[in-house]
Amino acid sequence: MLHKRVFLGVLGISFGLMTAGGVFTVLLAVGLIPRFAGKTHTGRKVMLYETMVILGTLAGDVFSIFEPQMGAAASRIGVPEPVLSALGGLFLLCYGLFAGIFIGSLAMAIAEMLDSIPIFARRIGFRHGLGIAVLAMALGKAAGSLYYFCERMFLFGG
Amino acid sequence: METKTVYIKPKRNAEVTKEEVFLKDVASLTCTDPHLLAKARALKVFQFREGGEKRAVISSLKLIELIQGLEKGITVDNVGEMDTLMKLVKVSDDKGLAVWLKVAFVALISFFGTAFTIMAFHNDVGIHDVFNQIYEQVMGQTSNGFTTLEVTYSLGLAIGITLFFNHIGGRRITADPTPIEVEMRIYEKDVDDTLIETADREGKTIDAS
Repeated sequence: MLHKRVFLGVLGISFGLMTAGGVFTVLLAVGLIPRFAGKTHTGRKVMLYETMVILGTLAGDVFSIFEPQMGAAASRIGVPEPVLSALGGLFLLCYGLFAGIFIGSLAMAIAEMLDSIPIFARRIGFRHGLGIAVLAMALGKAAGSLYYFCERMFLFGG
Repeated sequence: METKTVYIKPKRNAEVTKEEVFLKDVASLTCTDPHLLAKARALKVFQFREGGEKRAVISSLKLIELIQGLEKGITVDNVGEMDTLMKLVKVSDDKGLAVWLKVAFVALISFFGTAFTIMAFHNDVGIHDVFNQIYEQVMGQTSNGFTTLEVTYSLGLAIGITLFFNHIGGRRITADPTPIEVEMRIYEKDVDDTLIETADREGKTIDAS
């Protein structure tokens, strides 16, 4: 029994290490956080941002891997219902907003990395109104996202 | 008359705090003649207009022209960049609460964004199914969803990221710069290149006449 457990342990560690490598290489390749730091002129705090990336990943990991255990633990501690729902609401607000900003930037950063926008702009001889195009893209993404959730498209599967 | 050589090494990116830009702000220089060196260092190369653009690109040719205008028979040798991006920065306008808020903002995006990313990734690959399947194959019984595999996976993930980013909290594990620090420099370089080339294309580079 023990040797099997050790085997599982070795598997788990390897999976974790490789996932960390894979997921973070992608995040880094699109250079999102340097760009945030550059825009806000807070390059000196890069270490803090990296720490937050590490903590965020670990928090996300705990949330999704130990999902059933977390629910059970929360009900066992016995936090009063109004407090719990208020804290939960605040958490959801933060989570939604900031995860949204991150994913929005990520999507655009990936599109930019593939040079799709410059190539397209060059092909159609696009000179002016890049600002409008970017705004239209942002509105389109927001509208698409709202439509997706309002119509509950996720229920029908991919 | 022997010729004097002034060696200049223009910077790629010079941040200045005053509207008047002198040669010593945009380049480091050396010369065997100390008088000429002092004169060259104090040479005014550019003046930012009040309320105008806070950025300008100056060509090394312009710098050479200015130095050669000091005395007859000077040779200038450029050992640095061809173009210098000058940025006028105000020291005092970015302090305190505003900076703190910006840092908090980026930190929160980094935290929640990556939390979302890893959760979406787990969902995408159906990690619970994969883990249950492996558990059953190895142990020959059904998984209860909280096994060695889940715990060691999380542990491995933590070790992996920490090694990748090369620091725990504020302490570096090795003396190398962290990947984001490297990316940051690459990004800054790209931005400088773009600004210099844009100025060149629009004919805004301050060049020798």
